[in-house]
Amino acid sequence: MEAFKDKFKEEAKELIAELEHMVLKLEGNRANKSIVEEVFRVMHSLKGGSAMFGFSLIDKFTHLLENIYDKIRTGEYQVTDDILDITLNAVDHLRNLIEETPDTVAQLEKENNKFIEQIEIVLSKGALKSDDFKNNSDDDKKVSNHTKTYFVHFEPSSDFFQDGSNPLFLIDDICQLGETLIVPVYSKIPKYEKINPIDCYISWNLLVATDDDINAIMDVFIFTNKRSKVEVAKLSDKNLLAEKSHRKILLETLLKNHADLFEKLSIVVPDLEKAQNGNEQNTQRQRVQSSHSVEQTIASIRVSSEKLDNLINWVSELVTIQAQLSLYTQQNQHIGLAPISEEIEKITRRLRDDVFSIRLIPVSNMLTRFQRLVRELSHELDKDIVFESRGTETELDKNIIEMLADPVMHIIRNSIDHGIEESTEERVKKGKPAKGKILFNAYYSGTNVYIQIIDDGKGIDAEKGIDAEKVRAKAIEKELISPESEISRKELFDFLFLPGFSMAKVVTNLSGRGVGMDVVKRKIADLRGQVEIDSKLGFGTTVTIKLPLTLSIIDGLLVKVDNINMVIPLSSVHKVYEYEHTKIEKAINNLILADDERVPILNLRKYFNMTSPPPPLERVITIEYGDYYIGFTVDEIIGEYQAVLKPLGSAFKEQDFFPGATILGDGTVALVLDSNKLIELFAKTEVKIGN
Amino acid sequence: MKEKHKGTDTVSKDIQTYLSFRLGDEEFATNVQKVLNILELKPITKVPHSPEYMCGVINLRGNVLPVVDMRVKFGMEKIEATPDTCIIVLNVDISGEEVMLGILVDSVSEVLEIDEMLVEPSPSIGTRYKAEFIKGMWRQGEDAFIMLLNIDLIFSSNEVVLLQTKTEEAGEVEEEE
Repeated sequence: MEAFKDKFKEEAKELIAELEHMVLKLEGNRANKSIVEEVFRVMHSLKGGSAMFGFSLIDKFTHLLENIYDKIRTGEYQVTDDILDITLNAVDHLRNLIEETPDTVAQLEKENNKFIEQIEIVLSKGALKSDDFKNNSDDDKKVSNHTKTYFVHFEPSSDFFQDGSNPLFLIDDICQLGETLIVPVYSKIPKYEKINPIDCYISWNLLVATDDDINAIMDVFIFTNKRSKVEVAKLSDKNLLAEKSHRKILLETLLKNHADLFEKLSIVVPDLEKAQNGNEQNTQRQRVQSSHSVEQTIASIRVSSEKLDNLINWVSELVTIQAQLSLYTQQNQHIGLAPISEEIEKITRRLRDDVFSIRLIPVSNMLTRFQRLVRELSHELDKDIVFESRGTETELDKNIIEMLADPVMHIIRNSIDHGIEESTEERVKKGKPAKGKILFNAYYSGTNVYIQIIDDGKGIDAEKGIDAEKVRAKAIEKELISPESEISRKELFDFLFLPGFSMAKVVTNLSGRGVGMDVVKRKIADLRGQVEIDSKLGFGTTVTIKLPLTLSIIDGLLVKVDNINMVIPLSSVHKVYEYEHTKIEKAINNLILADDERVPILNLRKYFNMTSPPPPLERVITIEYGDYYIGFTVDEIIGEYQAVLKPLGSAFKEQDFFPGATILGDGTVALVLDSNKLIELFAKTEVKIGN
Repeated sequence: MKEKHKGTDTVSKDIQTYLSFRLGDEEFATNVQKVLNILELKPITKVPHSPEYMCGVINLRGNVLPVVDMRVKFGMEKIEATPDTCIIVLNVDISGEEVMLGILVDSVSEVLEIDEMLVEPSPSIGTRYKAEFIKGMWRQGEDAFIMLLNIDLIFSSNEVVLLQTKTEEAGEVEEEE
């Protein structure tokens, strides 16, 4: 039972997250019935599950919430701010309820009762409000679920115009009721010489799909004179006009203009109805059903991440074996082996791509909480801010997304708190739209994913002014720079990532306590990513995060140092040079000249305490490190290599600069080098030596 | 004395199967339950800046397997590999975590059925190795002893050899991390 409970908890958490997402979506799109249906469905599943597994508090609670949305669904209530607020609070409350333990039950129960009270208030208020909104709700009703199709034949009497009536107005009125298919009948129009301009000759056959009843249609014709002919009959209990192909069939029937048109239509209808039933994708009716049957909406299968990891491990192994096979094929000219090996290579590559993509999920998965954050924080700070997102389909490894949420949260918090101006007047004065904007932008570039958080707020004054002075003063105080040194724009922004630097003028309970960007930077560095700030005074601030696509594959340059194969991430490799060993040995102050630039070198042989004699000709790879280049000396460069990263295991946990290893085609192991870490460590030891 | 008591505790009536191996002139054994595989020596990739006793890593069916040089771990001198040198793949429990690990030994000897009733506790005084790493001694033949290892504990600690013995042995001195 416990195992089932855990499973339910996991599922419930997802449902709650989905609920949150849907409610936020509803906020921007209040009239959308399908979102309300979705909210309702999620609540319903949550209720059902919790009742089954004995989470009675959740059961009762969601039941109440469900009541609200049931009423919204039927059009009795309108979506109001109150309802949205309470639902979002309820989402948080539900999260707590899921984690209920015997110790917290009393407290939760108290909260629960408080919430129930609030909901009841909303329910009573909602009932009052719903009347005022009745009118606009009519519009939304049309696409609701109980749509029926009616046949209408309207034949105005010839003196129809005499009392100032216009048949077209009536037709328009019918169009207001729902979807229509209208065919005018011109057959009674006489020859031109015989036309009496004050007589009406035209009649109409039309089909209307509406959820109003037959009376509503009759009401349209209530003021027509008795001599006009009006026939209204129900054709079907379904909306036959939703499907284009059906419309066409019906139109054809209508155009034939039979005397007994209704009978003719009735013959066609059963077929269409059947077709509609058979068609799973069909919209209107399915929507009602979706609240009852979850099966239809399942587009994915829940798989434990352990199974997934196993799968990935096996595929990695396959990739390795395949590389061995390719190597063997190259070395041994077996007739017939080459095409097979090639085929396997192709399939393996596709398999690998697909399997690795399983772990990738779109970044939209983490947007809900940001949306929520912006919504709540902007209320709290009384700022008017919209949150927009772009490129949300960009995919990233699930682990990366999970670890990324916190730092991004922090950045957004900063943007809301310090970025966006305090008042709308201030914005308007600067000629900006009154509403502040925070944009979350994600995109691919090469083997990296970039995520940007852009606000259109105050920005940071990097050139001169208070901000720059403040940072300078702080840097001097911390003895990072000497009072007379100049700092560049980029350096200034980089300082913001150091502990103790904050742009906040006031310390709020949100941010500005000096713990901040340094933590963000560290967390992103843990993901092998980089973060940068750019800002323009008066125009806003952009924080850019650069991340690897996945944590398990690295595009690298395979090199050899004293017979040890190493992979250097290609992303940080700049250029490769060739030098005689003696030149490196004699380099003054550890600097060599590469393309007319002095580049400090890191002799890997020396640094790794390797004793074997170096080759006469060594390679120097310049590695990008921030704004600088640092040359790594290696014995030999083998080529590009796509490394499947394997952990080195706990036996090497003090090994900072080798995040892992990879297996080469010949079955040997190559170490993967984290060049950034290595340079950092190297810089530290160098300083020690210098002192 | 405490350690001695512990040693006797672990002795049970069961007959246990052990795999014995040789390091220099000494014979050691580990419970076969811990043993996954015995491999011929294959090229080992050295990992720079790692402890002396870590030989490096090898490829074990697509996974990276760390290999420990047991000679160095037990304070003996490093030697050139012989045709008998092999790697025993073990599944050890390092502070609650299952870890796969290879150990480099001079040769693998045999599989022994050992009646644990006959296992003598290791004396806690006068031995080269810390008593907690030795589960007990098992007499083989007249005057040959096999040391039964407490393999999980050995890899949870950097120090296997008692400090005073190490200074006596002027050979390999392990560095403290």
